[in-house]
Amino acid sequence: MNSPSEARLEIEGLTFCYHSRQEPAIQDISFDLQPGEVMLLAGASGCGKTTLMRCINGLIPKIYRGSLEGQIRVYGRPVSEMSMAELSQSVGTLLQDPERQIVGSYVLNEVAFGLENLGLPRGEIMERVERTLDYLGIAHLRDREVFNISGGEKQKIALAGILVMEPRILLLDEPLASLDPASSSGALQLFRRLADDGISVLLVEHRVDEVLAIQPERVLYLEDGKAVYLGDPQGMLDVVDYRRVKLPARTVVRRARNAEPPPEFQPALPPPTQQPLIDFQKVGFRYRPELPETLRGVNLQVHPGDVIAVLGANGAGKTTLVKHALGLLKPTRGQVLLEGQDTRKLTVAQAAHTIGYVFQSPTQMLYAPTVEEELAFGPRNLAHPPEQIRADVSWAIRTVHLEPELKTPPLALSFGQQKRVSIAAVLAMRSRILMMDEPTAGQDYWNYRSFMDTILQMPGFEAILFITHDVDLAVIYANRILLIYNGQVAADGSPHAVLRDEEKLRACRVLPTSLLELNLELYPQTGRFLRAEALAQYVA
Amino acid sequence: MIVSFNYRNRHSLLERLDPRARWIFSLLVLFAITMFWDVRFLLFFLALTLGQYYLARLTWRETRRAWYFVFFIMTTMVVVNTIITSSGTIGAAMKGTHTVIFHQFTIPITGWIWELNLTVERLWFAVTQVTRILSISALFLVIPFTMDPRQYGATFRGMGLPDRLAYTLDLAFRFVPTLGRDFQLTLDAQRARGYEVEKVEGGLFTQIRKMAPLVVPVTMNAILSGEDYANAMDLRCFGLRKRTWIEKLTYHWRDYLWIGFGALLLIASVVLSLLGYGEFWVPSILLQ
Amino acid sequence: MEKKSLWAFGTREVVYAAIGAALYAVLSIATNFLQIPAAANVSIRPAVAIPMFFGLAFGPWVGLITGLVGNVISDLISGYGFWPWWDLGNGLIGFIPGLIYLQMTDFRSLGDIIKAEIMVVVGVAVGMFVASVSEIWVSGIDFATSMATNFVPAFISNIVNGLILVPILMIAYSAVRGRSGR
Repeated sequence: MNSPSEARLEIEGLTFCYHSRQEPAIQDISFDLQPGEVMLLAGASGCGKTTLMRCINGLIPKIYRGSLEGQIRVYGRPVSEMSMAELSQSVGTLLQDPERQIVGSYVLNEVAFGLENLGLPRGEIMERVERTLDYLGIAHLRDREVFNISGGEKQKIALAGILVMEPRILLLDEPLASLDPASSSGALQLFRRLADDGISVLLVEHRVDEVLAIQPERVLYLEDGKAVYLGDPQGMLDVVDYRRVKLPARTVVRRARNAEPPPEFQPALPPPTQQPLIDFQKVGFRYRPELPETLRGVNLQVHPGDVIAVLGANGAGKTTLVKHALGLLKPTRGQVLLEGQDTRKLTVAQAAHTIGYVFQSPTQMLYAPTVEEELAFGPRNLAHPPEQIRADVSWAIRTVHLEPELKTPPLALSFGQQKRVSIAAVLAMRSRILMMDEPTAGQDYWNYRSFMDTILQMPGFEAILFITHDVDLAVIYANRILLIYNGQVAADGSPHAVLRDEEKLRACRVLPTSLLELNLELYPQTGRFLRAEALAQYVA
Repeated sequence: MIVSFNYRNRHSLLERLDPRARWIFSLLVLFAITMFWDVRFLLFFLALTLGQYYLARLTWRETRRAWYFVFFIMTTMVVVNTIITSSGTIGAAMKGTHTVIFHQFTIPITGWIWELNLTVERLWFAVTQVTRILSISALFLVIPFTMDPRQYGATFRGMGLPDRLAYTLDLAFRFVPTLGRDFQLTLDAQRARGYEVEKVEGGLFTQIRKMAPLVVPVTMNAILSGEDYANAMDLRCFGLRKRTWIEKLTYHWRDYLWIGFGALLLIASVVLSLLGYGEFWVPSILLQ
Repeated sequence: MEKKSLWAFGTREVVYAAIGAALYAVLSIATNFLQIPAAANVSIRPAVAIPMFFGLAFGPWVGLITGLVGNVISDLISGYGFWPWWDLGNGLIGFIPGLIYLQMTDFRSLGDIIKAEIMVVVGVAVGMFVASVSEIWVSGIDFATSMATNFVPAFISNIVNGLILVPILMIAYSAVRGRSGR
């Protein structure tokens, strides 16, 4: 371990309060960062992670105003004395959503952006851009249009645009949020390599379980703007509340052994019948005639009583598949029957009587001046009677625990709350089948488990289907798994039947989790998949 | 909805010219054209701009919609101008005496009297107008098909626009496909909630209010993402000093030639109009 | 949120001007199905509320660029060519409401909405007048024709769209505004 005087970054007693708020966002934070070190900064959303990063990269106080106390030094120099140009060449920041920080239309322009702004000569810019692209192994993307590039590669491009400025400290703000598990594992390996090559990495992430795989040197855990823990990863596992942050399954089992066992989880769904609700018959689909097929001969039936988790890598065709059920897309060959009717002959509005579909991003659908009106929008379109609408709206809002916000504009809520409003908006339509695309994205661990529990345990739905990257969600909630790979159904069956085939999962770019491994191990005793707390009683 | 640009490299002569030279040329020619009301000169310009159109190697399929649009607007303007309002910009010339049709209507109820007085001069003026509008349309119609969108920023920087303004253009082009995709997502999400945009109901006001579930989410989402984009740009030193543009444009001899040609046309036009040429002209054979 | 000067054009203005322009173009194209065939050069476009609103929310330059560049891009994508005087007219639709940017404090209050609506009307009137009058010079029509075929239809459709949608956007924006922490 290096002595503190060699630290790249030193923070002492840092407190910041935004101009527009009463409570400080972070309070009395102190730590330092060494060369070649990966430090994990963990905590639930709203814990002050983003604020802390803004203090380090200079956005606070240059852009965001408020009262700042304490010291931040980079290479021994106070950040407040450094210009943005100096600071940006010492501290690089990768923001959460790669899509929202790429400003160039083409890869070359994007990566060159920072150096162009520094006014360097064209020759030097080109040389450094080429070098960085080579380092990240994406030289082949150089002349591609950014818009048509996949999420994982987009993130590498955004990272290239930062590394090209040769920072020695790298801040990464929830870099895994928009990646599928296979890509995030690749991204994590890359961050480790950056640190091994001498860069100091501060990695903000709440997916603690996954980050531990690259063995961060230290962990800083924040709660409500205060540092609760600073030290090696092992120690954190004993301190952090496993109900709030997702920890490795074995840790949870160990710690939950002495705790109260969780209440029994009892899904409320009708008994299975033979008559399918949705029937995909040899469905093929291509977006444009010149493109290859996105779906390739899918056969699939959804029956009452099904709780289906759809797993698969980004771009495998999961969302395309689900959009067919609702008729948002019509098959280019084969047919989709919704309760026996060809979706080609139904309007989307007619299909919406049967299927409620929650889209991935809530911000893309919320528009009304109050939550109440937002929830009534769907049922009104479906011409439900007013009394029923009133009853359904109040039932839906209770389900997602947002009763106090009924009169609040949905756009003023936090992202997590908005997501729940978007789910409630579909619940209020009282459809028979519920479909959700990434229901847990951007949600706190505690929150999403709580509303998933409620939704599955409430009567009303005949079948539920959700797309997810989170294998644990499939393990805990599904009674049927659909594995999609390259536009085809690679596996379809009970969780145990599908998820025990690790080789096939990996071939489909789905990675087993610690919870899955533990469940498979204990399956002879349990006979079904359970959440980590419930497994505690089976472990000796 | 995939919103994309019509540009693809056609390897035409026009694309080998520097885009700055082409903008300058187009503006010079626009000013030259507007000096004439003499159809003989205008026919020259029509030939010139159609020549440029031909050089761009455009197909009818690609430009069909644009031409329909031009024809539609042109027809409305010319018909209204010739038949209904019938005074004309160039005053005296329109007050022809060679009447073809004369008719007086009394508009029922109001009792207003409206005169239809079609003269040879007026009809010929319409012909002149059509030639003029077509020349200008052909001049500008080629631009979207033959200019690489990634060069707009550098082009306008090269024409003297400040860095920030020029970069705004680049950024706007960057956002177009993203927002097109966002719009499609919002449309799908609302349709899944039973929203039917195709259904015509209520009057104009209701119809416009019905756009809110589409317009509001797309706009607010874009504004929220703007915060991130701006941060990302500040963190990479945008606007701190004079920036380098890696899209490099260089004038070649053919670009100077092209600008020179445009300038020559404008100068010649100015001189001709000072000498009294280019005023409205009707072939004397029609005035017999 | 701090507002410094009416005419500032920093990174944020660059981004919002670019977003506004792209949004104006995309919405114009996406909602073209509401065309009114009797109107020359213009259609019923809810998109026209975008430059007005961006002017009010981010200042006159952002409004100007949103309208002007947005119209250029929308014409580029539709393949309609380049019509500088109509682009300028659309720019003014955003620029003029932008002039009261500093007076906009509470986007939900009736007072601010009324002020905004007045500026919307002035902006459309001036913008469409400039564009229509240019047609006199370019196409050689007379004043009455330009008013009848260009100004009146453009004015009416833009006013109707703007007056209805600008307040809706303002109310939505007032909810969004509190979230950034600036």
